[in-house]
Amino acid sequence: MASTLTQDKLSLEAGASHLTNLFRALRDAQVIPSPLRSKSHQWVSDADLLTLFTEQALKEDWKYTPMDFFRYAWDYVPFQTEPLHIASQSAFSSKSPLSLAEVERIEALRSFPEPLSPWEALLSGIPAQLHYRLVDGERLAFTLRNPGSLSAQLITVSLPAHAEAEIGFSIKGEGFSLLRFHLHLGEGAQLRLYYLSEDGSESTYRYLILTSYLEKNASIATYDFTTEVGWKRSEYRVRLAGEGASAHLHGAAYVREHALVDTAIRVEHFAPHTESNQLFKSLVQAKGRSAFQGRIFVDRVAQKTNAYQSHKALLIAPTAVAYSRPQLEIFADDVRCTHGVTTGFLQGDMLMYLRARGIPEPTARQMLYRAFLTEVVEKVPEVSLRSWIDNRLSDVIGAQS
Amino acid sequence: MLSIDNLHVSVEGRPILKGLSLAVKPGEVHAIMGPNGAGKSTLASVLAGREGYEVIEGEVVFEGQNLLEMAPEERSHAGVFLAFQYPVEIPGVSMIQFLRAALNAHRAAKGLEPLDTSDLMALLREKAALLKLDPSFLSRSVNEGFSGGERKRAEIFQMAVLDPKLVIMDETDSGLDIDALRVVSEAVNALRSPGRAFVIITHYYRILQYIRPDFVHILADGRIVRSGGAELALELEEKGYEPLLNPA
Ligand SMILES: Nc1ncnc2c1ncn2[C@@H]1O[C@H](COP(=O)(O)OP(=O)(O)OP(=O)(O)O)[C@@H](O)[C@H]1O
Ligand SMILES: [Mg+2]
Repeated sequence: MASTLTQDKLSLEAGASHLTNLFRALRDAQVIPSPLRSKSHQWVSDADLLTLFTEQALKEDWKYTPMDFFRYAWDYVPFQTEPLHIASQSAFSSKSPLSLAEVERIEALRSFPEPLSPWEALLSGIPAQLHYRLVDGERLAFTLRNPGSLSAQLITVSLPAHAEAEIGFSIKGEGFSLLRFHLHLGEGAQLRLYYLSEDGSESTYRYLILTSYLEKNASIATYDFTTEVGWKRSEYRVRLAGEGASAHLHGAAYVREHALVDTAIRVEHFAPHTESNQLFKSLVQAKGRSAFQGRIFVDRVAQKTNAYQSHKALLIAPTAVAYSRPQLEIFADDVRCTHGVTTGFLQGDMLMYLRARGIPEPTARQMLYRAFLTEVVEKVPEVSLRSWIDNRLSDVIGAQS
Repeated sequence: MLSIDNLHVSVEGRPILKGLSLAVKPGEVHAIMGPNGAGKSTLASVLAGREGYEVIEGEVVFEGQNLLEMAPEERSHAGVFLAFQYPVEIPGVSMIQFLRAALNAHRAAKGLEPLDTSDLMALLREKAALLKLDPSFLSRSVNEGFSGGERKRAEIFQMAVLDPKLVIMDETDSGLDIDALRVVSEAVNALRSPGRAFVIITHYYRILQYIRPDFVHILADGRIVRSGGAELALELEEKGYEPLLNPA
């Protein structure tokens, strides 16, 4: 079917509607099975993933990014049973957390075999694919600069039982990047993932799809920081499949003028005693838009679940906009689930307090904007990376507000 | 130092201060007492430059400058310090960051270079010790999670750090336990100097036993209705406002 698409040289739009119809038809004909609910220790099958994505896409009635094309084009590309490239194992192996110096250093060693692949290549089914099987204490770090007109990567990572690992992905400059992580965490495995998106412009488009499957007592923590993009969408689908699994998703975005930063999350609790936590903050410039939707699904078997979600937006100007939509679907009765959404302007009494101590108004505003994002930055476990992120955010806030 | 003349101030169209006059000279300590809602905090806010207060009439001169035309930060640079009745929490800004920015802004206004970190820390530690504050509080966010008493102490600590000429304390004694009241009063007394004046807004006689005022004023319904020496505070303590405001 990929060949049909490329041979016919369908326009992007036609491709989108074609695939949309295809998936709808498959769904209506019940060719695609209902979502995976077993506590199987198997890798999630392609069919399950397709189901997950398709259902999610169709459910997402509230969307701020015209998704159809990207989603279906991407999902259409089948998972390879044999990865195209098996990257060599990381030279870096240590128990201490990933540092920024390493993110920068590893670039040369670990750049993509095909970092820039054209859109056509994606449609024809050969995006850059990397598959890693990490060992305990290992880190993967990538830096992608100026992805150009389009770069697409699929990175699948599996983490064996009780392994602890980190992934850092830093992406800079202009262009369109489509990045998909597919993560599988074995029993008791722990993964931290950083996605640092910076140094862009209005011609920077970034699309992240992160799917992860967690077995018993596995835990994932993600840190998504954005300074300057034109458009960015981050999608997270986290399936807590094993008892005691946990996910902590963090994000802070500085949404520049005319930019759109869109975050869509689906966390699924499919086992008892699972825990999830979402903490996202957006600081939105004039005419910028922040969109957030976070769906928490708690299956009926997932008793004793704890699920939290917090999204806060601070609007710098009256023309800034923030959309927030928490969604809870809870089918178990013994769960603790909270969500909090706030959107607003800087509080006058905080500004007054700083000014009353002699801090000039522009500096006071910058301090408060930065302070707003600090709650998220503080969650970064590694000190040098944390202060680097803090400095980057401060620089951008200082330069633009 | 400070001269307030016939000040009329409205909030949302409602007159709150109705012809208030007060003169404060360097080195003096003035206490302002008065019933709830009389306009004491309004006066403090107007002096500090908070937005939302409309000055209808009157003037305020501080060291020869028209205070009402100055931005809040300029008033601070000129030496005005308000210890807030309700200090606000600022999550994400540490006390150190906050005071570094404030001190350096004060220094910049005087044409001085920023303080280096070791001098800054030495100064902050010294003043924290004066207020018997644990140095660990310096790395906490401004007022966040501080108890009521800690907030008030932190206000006086900031005052000590910024070394102002005119200090307005809005009910700094409210919410302090007996020991904290003594610590705060001792710090204030230690900072009394011929060049520095204090305006202490309070409901209680007790703080005035520690910090002896030169003058006591009663503010009621937007004006100063009576002024006297320290003995006026004692009279109030014994009789309450009623006989003073509505003499038979
Ligand atoms: N921002 C505001 N909006 C509306 N009314 C206000 C505002 N600020 C003050 N007021 C009103 O002005 C009056 C004086 O208030 P103010 O806070 O100055 O009193 P106070 O003397 O400090 O009282 P207290 O002893 O209770 O602290 C009150 O009636 C109060 O409700
Ligand atoms: Mg008051």
